[in-house]
Amino acid sequence: MTAHSAPHVGRITVAIASGKGGTGKTLVATNLAVAAARSGSPVALVDCDADAPNDALFLAPDAPQASPVEVPLPVVDESACTLCGACRRTCAYGAIRILGSKVIVFPELCHNCGACVRVCRPGALSERPARVGEVEWGSVGGALTAPAGVDVVTATLDIGEVKAPTVIRAARKRAAVFNRAVTILDASPGVACSAVAGVRDADVLVLVTEPTPFGMHDLELAVALGRDMGIPLGVVINRDGAGSADVTAYCTAQGIPILARIPFDRRVAEVYADGGLVIDEHPDGAAWFGGLLSAVRELAEEEA
Amino acid sequence: MRRVVFASGKGGTGKTTFTAITARLAAEDGPLVLADCDVEAANLPIALRATVTGSEPFAGGSKAVIDADACRGCGACQPVCRFEAIAADEDFWRTRAFVIDPWACEGCGACVPACPYDAITMEQSRAGEVHTAETVIGPMAFGQLVAGEDLSGKLVTEVRTRADAIGVEHGIDRMWIDGPPGVGCPAIAALTGTDLVMAVTEPTLSGEHDLMRLVTLARRFDLPVAVVLNKADLSASGARRIRERMAAEGLDLVAEVPFDAELAALPERLARGEEFAFPDTPGMDGVRATAAWLAERMGAGS
Repeated sequence: MTAHSAPHVGRITVAIASGKGGTGKTLVATNLAVAAARSGSPVALVDCDADAPNDALFLAPDAPQASPVEVPLPVVDESACTLCGACRRTCAYGAIRILGSKVIVFPELCHNCGACVRVCRPGALSERPARVGEVEWGSVGGALTAPAGVDVVTATLDIGEVKAPTVIRAARKRAAVFNRAVTILDASPGVACSAVAGVRDADVLVLVTEPTPFGMHDLELAVALGRDMGIPLGVVINRDGAGSADVTAYCTAQGIPILARIPFDRRVAEVYADGGLVIDEHPDGAAWFGGLLSAVRELAEEEA
Repeated sequence: MRRVVFASGKGGTGKTTFTAITARLAAEDGPLVLADCDVEAANLPIALRATVTGSEPFAGGSKAVIDADACRGCGACQPVCRFEAIAADEDFWRTRAFVIDPWACEGCGACVPACPYDAITMEQSRAGEVHTAETVIGPMAFGQLVAGEDLSGKLVTEVRTRADAIGVEHGIDRMWIDGPPGVGCPAIAALTGTDLVMAVTEPTLSGEHDLMRLVTLARRFDLPVAVVLNKADLSASGARRIRERMAAEGLDLVAEVPFDAELAALPERLARGEEFAFPDTPGMDGVRATAAWLAERMGAGS
């Protein structure tokens, strides 16, 4: 369907997503990144939750670099504008209005597609760069991620801006340059454009859920999205034992593999609260995330 | 209409739990309207077993479609697309036709006039639904976005409009809004035009980081923010950081609610059809304190 073809040999891109927020995406993404690095695979961990990026709180790069994400925003040269209205008519987003004798561009509605500039005959429209966010990246080395290391790339949307997908795409482009054996995408919650930008073209989709009716409801939405996008998927049940919803029965009925179970354990929440890594600070952490890594690799190989 | 929106930045901090229980307590003083503005994962209608009484389709934007028979494969459309949604796929050698990736297309239509063979048209997509519902607490509006659509902010605005209309219809002047996670377009649409942002946070590094992003956003809109610290006993150092931060920022820390398994399970029990029965626990005391504080701000309702 897309230009995207089979994954590069031996390279794998894993997206971590969920419908519901707060199910444990960051927990899974950061610990899985460490597990993969320790297994000998160089990792790029991309925080695609541009609204609320938290991966770097757990895996802080030593000397991060940053680069702004800019979009082209139309500007009007009033001296050249004939008020013909072609730009307003062509804009699919209602981002251009003509008030009195002025063409007004609403940046928060504009998708920066350039259609208006193209139809402006008098050449009164041009574009200037406008900042909407930032991509930060750097390596987390040392014993924590030895031997292979983790590069952490963070997408951060500027407060008050709305173009999270643009910032997410920029972060993923930055990570693609690293070309690591394993790329882990920590996606936004939900099922809208931000989540799509985070999981698009992944080889494997890991959906993190909790066994409550809410987690269950939102998991079904995320499964539908993943299937629509044609990405092989599996489920991680977090806080296993805390709720009454039978995620296992659902997954069995749907033929969805359960990749890992992380039990409902106050100690996990405490480690996470203080910015720690469960893989090191919980006695079962290494087994959970080592097991998840193997399950993810298996799922990727099955589908390849 | 006075409106309070429960928000958090980070997901899973307890927004829906606090919305549902404080609304239930507030309803004892007078009527209110509910709105679930998380249109990507609406959970308040599940917790309150909402009965849908009316639904309206939410027309989304459109997506470009290339007619493979009309396309000559010239590629004139491709450089025009800034979303990298136009590609020659693996069948191009046979079809000589470009294809649109609907997951990438943002529906701008720039490619349509670029095609010399008129092979590209725009097709309307159904982006979701806005529902009106009844609950044990009061009338509710909520929405559901079709997975993969990119208009969640616009749908949130539609839900807000519906909730306002319900208020007018029933003569109700208080609204409890369950907000979406994040600070992007759906969060902005949920916060706009409210009177109070009730931030539900947790004593985690992530919770604090995302709370401060929410506070910055709320201040951008000149909205007052009050904070509830949920699961307060999860981390002593985390709770201390939040307290210090709130004091430094001059923000009201309305209540500290210890982790409480019974309280956390309440929405789930409600979803299974049990009656509202509040646990007699320290966690519930914190929620009652929050509700009492809100009652002063929001009034009794009419």
